[in-house]
Amino acid sequence: MISHHPSETTLLAYAAGSLPEALAIVAATHIGGCKLCRHRLEALEAVGGVLLDSLSPATLSDDALDRLLARADEAPPALPPVRNAGLPPPLDRVPLGRWWPIGIGARWRPLQAEGAAWGGLILVQPGRALPRHGHEGLELTCVLKGAFADGSGLYGPGDLSEPQEDHDQPPVAEAGEPCLCVIASEGMRLRGLLGIGQRMIGL
Amino acid sequence: MAGLVLPFRRRISIAGMTADTPASDDHAALIQAIAQRRDRVAFAALFRFFAPRVKAWMLRGGASPVAAEELAQETMLTVWQKAALFDPARAGASTWIFTIARNQRIDSLRRERHPGTLLPDPADEPEGPVQADRVMAMAQQEARIREAMAELPAEQADVIRKAFFEDKVHAEIEKELGIPLGTVKSRLRLAMNRLRTALGDLT
Repeated sequence: MISHHPSETTLLAYAAGSLPEALAIVAATHIGGCKLCRHRLEALEAVGGVLLDSLSPATLSDDALDRLLARADEAPPALPPVRNAGLPPPLDRVPLGRWWPIGIGARWRPLQAEGAAWGGLILVQPGRALPRHGHEGLELTCVLKGAFADGSGLYGPGDLSEPQEDHDQPPVAEAGEPCLCVIASEGMRLRGLLGIGQRMIGL
Repeated sequence: MAGLVLPFRRRISIAGMTADTPASDDHAALIQAIAQRRDRVAFAALFRFFAPRVKAWMLRGGASPVAAEELAQETMLTVWQKAALFDPARAGASTWIFTIARNQRIDSLRRERHPGTLLPDPADEPEGPVQADRVMAMAQQEARIREAMAELPAEQADVIRKAFFEDKVHAEIEKELGIPLGTVKSRLRLAMNRLRTALGDLT
């Protein structure tokens, strides 16, 4: 049961295509498993469609249509290969680096993304803290396995955390299985041990 | 070509923008004609309406005239190639083409192209059987959003338009409009609430 969702403004930026890639990957991971957000997204995309209709047309070259029809038999580009079987889309086809130990009970696997945000997978043993939120700009975390809790609630598989303000309580992985999350941020580097890890691997 | 009528056009105004807007049912019929018969006349009609608007959208997003036209071409080529995946129960014609254009632009901004990885075109991810009432609902969605957009206060329509057209993150909208970030976000929220009300239980 998914109970934590992205904010309206984050979903709007995603629908408009203006979220930096790493954040968009985290948002897409949540949306892929969340029927509610798929429907919210469809409505926002319909806003995009209505706005597209309303634009004043730009002028095209005279032969634009003919040049396009000359390509009518081209096949559409293939999807990139599945690189990470076992992860939900779109993470299954996204280039990921290797796992790095970051302190005790936590590992980090960066994802290769372009743009003004960085991200990766983080695996935290039960009872261990996830790196604290930097709160500079937007930060999104989607739980893939296990669960964590912070001052704002309990986050299980499919839940998306979008902190709105500083919480004193760092997120801590719940008892049971290790907590696997995909996380992205456009803010400063993370504080604490992950920050050291980030510097070590040159993020 | 039987059954194909020229799109009906009416003048509407969306927050200061006036445009010739055809009934979206007709565009859906054109896409289906392409899917069923590789109908080049239908495609030409769709191209004449959408290609200049997709180019205009790309120009607003900061693309050069050459790149904007190239992206419009790639968008329309994808429309041709994927017409069979268009599902009027999932999205209106303008919405579907908007998402294709958006994804083309996202891909173009990457050094290494991963076509379709991040934001699959809606038709690429079937959701299982669609209820008949949803087919009706989606057919009405664009029309209802169009009406709701026309009724939005100008300042709310403005932040939505900037978010969709100009690839502005909220901080940039803040700078440009000279209003605090909190105000940008609250205007977006107000606008989205109104749109959601207009959509009723569709979302």
